[in-house]
Amino acid sequence: MKSRRPVIKLLALLAGLVLLTAACGGGADDADEPGGAQEDAPKTQKGGELVDGGTFVGDPPEHIDPALNSTLDAYQVINAMYDGLTEPTGAEVKPLVAESVESNDDASVWTFKIREGMKFSNGEEIKPTTFQKSWERASNPDFAGDYAYLFNFIKGGKEKLDGKAKTLEGVAADDGAGTLTVTLASPYSNFDAVAGFQTFFPMPDEATSDPAKFTAYENGLMIGNGPYKLEKPRTDQEISLVKNDTWTGDVDGEKWEDRLDRIRFLVNADPDTSYNALGAGEVDTANIPPARVSDAEANWGNTLDVAILGSYHYVINGRNPIIGGEKNKLLRQAISQAIDREEINEAVYNGSRTSSTGITPDGIPGFKEGICKYCKYDLEAAKKAFADWQAAGNKLAAPIQIQFNADAGHEPVVQIFVDNLKEVGIQAAAQPFPTETYFSQLADGACVICRTGWFADYPTYDNFMYDLFHSDSLDGNTYGFVNEEFDGLVDKAKATVDKDEQAKLFQQAEDVLLNKEIMAIPINWYKGDYAFDKDKIAKFPQSNFGLIAWEQVALAA
Amino acid sequence: MPSYILRRLLLLIPTIFVALSFLFFLFFLLPGDPVDLIVGGENRTPDPGVILRARARYGLDEPLLIQFRDYWSRTLRWDLGESFLNGRSVNDILGERVVNSARLSIWAIVIEIIVGIGVGLLSAIKRYSIADKLTTIGTAAAAAVPVFVLGFVFQYAFAVYPNQHNWPEWARLRTSRLGPDEWFLFFIPRGDQWRYLLLPALTLACVSTALAARMMRGSMLEVMQADYMRTARAKGLGERAVVTRHGLRNALIPVVTLIGLDFGTVIGAAVLTETVFSWPGLGFTIADAVGDRDLPVILGLTLVVVLAYAVVNLIVDVSYAWFDPRIRLGEGDA
Repeated sequence: MKSRRPVIKLLALLAGLVLLTAACGGGADDADEPGGAQEDAPKTQKGGELVDGGTFVGDPPEHIDPALNSTLDAYQVINAMYDGLTEPTGAEVKPLVAESVESNDDASVWTFKIREGMKFSNGEEIKPTTFQKSWERASNPDFAGDYAYLFNFIKGGKEKLDGKAKTLEGVAADDGAGTLTVTLASPYSNFDAVAGFQTFFPMPDEATSDPAKFTAYENGLMIGNGPYKLEKPRTDQEISLVKNDTWTGDVDGEKWEDRLDRIRFLVNADPDTSYNALGAGEVDTANIPPARVSDAEANWGNTLDVAILGSYHYVINGRNPIIGGEKNKLLRQAISQAIDREEINEAVYNGSRTSSTGITPDGIPGFKEGICKYCKYDLEAAKKAFADWQAAGNKLAAPIQIQFNADAGHEPVVQIFVDNLKEVGIQAAAQPFPTETYFSQLADGACVICRTGWFADYPTYDNFMYDLFHSDSLDGNTYGFVNEEFDGLVDKAKATVDKDEQAKLFQQAEDVLLNKEIMAIPINWYKGDYAFDKDKIAKFPQSNFGLIAWEQVALAA
Repeated sequence: MPSYILRRLLLLIPTIFVALSFLFFLFFLLPGDPVDLIVGGENRTPDPGVILRARARYGLDEPLLIQFRDYWSRTLRWDLGESFLNGRSVNDILGERVVNSARLSIWAIVIEIIVGIGVGLLSAIKRYSIADKLTTIGTAAAAAVPVFVLGFVFQYAFAVYPNQHNWPEWARLRTSRLGPDEWFLFFIPRGDQWRYLLLPALTLACVSTALAARMMRGSMLEVMQADYMRTARAKGLGERAVVTRHGLRNALIPVVTLIGLDFGTVIGAAVLTETVFSWPGLGFTIADAVGDRDLPVILGLTLVVVLAYAVVNLIVDVSYAWFDPRIRLGEGDA
């Protein structure tokens, strides 16, 4: 899942102001450990209102309809408003609206038994057909959002998305038996995790009954089944949620009765303004701009210690003759070894991230530390690889262009990238593209070495390997990495039920990607970036998916 | 005069037509297909049939000239269409945004008029004094500091710092957003509203105020050397009467032109100020819409910006006659 936050806009020009801020001290009392308010189990109060300024930084969300949204920001609201069939808790997937989840032996047919008595906030009962209708809506080709490709997993999903079938052949709902049976296009042992993702959330009748009103639904008073419900239709300025009293509890049956009465998500057009608004007492939470990390650590509660299951990396266009292909493998190796990831983390992110040793982050089942052989800064090895590449008769006719979306905080990273390569003797240049057209330009073949990033949607290895690099996915095609061995390993892993065996296969696939072909350059793994007023907020838990567990947030007594 | 105003009002029609038509065709030269955004282009390769249906739904499958005709046909009925992005009515978006921009612009211009003219006048009258030198340095600095830096400094100095040092509630200004949206006589803030308005208005006014002050000073100095000023003094008029009755009126003409142009600009182009203060105005929305290739929003909001610009210019031109009775609008055109 992509993040839309403009990470370090105006960073350099604000340096002076940051120093001023730091010199004058923060707004809170003496510094505690980050997240200390949570660790000390302070007294909490019942209910209350929280004003969030940390979620929507930049633009208001384009979509808050689960079927349409593709950003982590809006998922914060959607996740508070909706519960899915399952929910990942750490590395484990637990049933939520489903009472139980079972698959056949080869994981090609999945049966979800729906809990009885589950309701939307308007009292409408949630039945197996509710999911069926919701999925038909989300896979309607005239309506479907970015994540609709997930319906390709289901038998008949591709045909439905392509407008060649009217319904999802593989979905059968039996309200009498309370079961939803899903036949997949091919065996997939992690489908229980995918089924809990927003694209598969249940929607009430008023959302699914009239295709002509699908698009407009998110602009009205959307109805959900989560711990919170919309208080009023969203505006570009604010989304206001209030407690949903009909909510039946989380995966462990905990109802969090004392949860907040109201959460107001305010939209801030700039991350520094969001942070200043926290200092001015106008909001209770803010997004931490990288230049303010030290200040946030010293003066505010924060989630900087939360490892987020997300990867910041650069991918290489295998179709590009300058850098793709077998003959340029040594060049790619030299580039990956020349990058000083620690310098990037310290200089750009104030040490707030973790330099990565692979694409798939720690916390994903099957994760293997140090899987990337060429991700450690090694200037001599990089120089040797580059020299060997040149000795084979290769040379660079022009500087290698490194693409990134402009004004979203990537400029300083690319600058270090370019400087690092220069030390090896590789000439490179930054090539910024407008953010709005960045991905479409990549799709048109503009990528040579291009920036991207990814937050996990669910805790599976394939959410990184398949969604980003498999040739079936658009992004794989976009970046130009098409490799039969990799595809075969990922396909086999997805269909493997044994978790240990599955992990080995995914690791082998990542080994092909990073070591055998060297088609991606991992840079770092994300950390949490919320600051909050610890005098006011006693608990502010953020999951490894970056999601705030809003029902667990509590104000200090 | 009435015939002049009527003719200028009629000229608005071709002005708006040309400006929006130019923008309409310019849009199709921008890279990036809006249909990609409508049907989801990042993670999904939509079937060609889906793309065709989306094009048809928004009329983007028609030849450009037919789209152009349809656009004007709708616009003349004041139907500005729906956002490509989220299906919201552009009429609704415009209704929300235009009033916010108008209020912010009015206050920025009020500040520009009062401070700019006042400081410029003082500086000219007290030429080479300490006040004049401070004014010169101050206006140069204000004009040179980027708006977003100024905005963040203001936020810290007048909102964050007072909050951290427990200043009284009324003394803590606000960093962002519209606030309670409570107004009296359309533009006068009520209750807490002024705490939200002041910083963006000051920031927006800062650069243009500095320029207005410098122009006022220069213009006034020039007028002070004029023969009719010497004559006025020779007639025995007091210095105050000379400056206000004879000097100020004449010196104001170029300054009023500048301020009029500023008003036309700030109402639709205060992108940075609106971004820094999260003020939901036209400039920020138009800039966003350009990024999103949201043609109906771009054209709908720009229509009002062009209209405002043209009307303000007309008012400025008409005001010349008041400042300088020698100017008789519409009577010496032949």
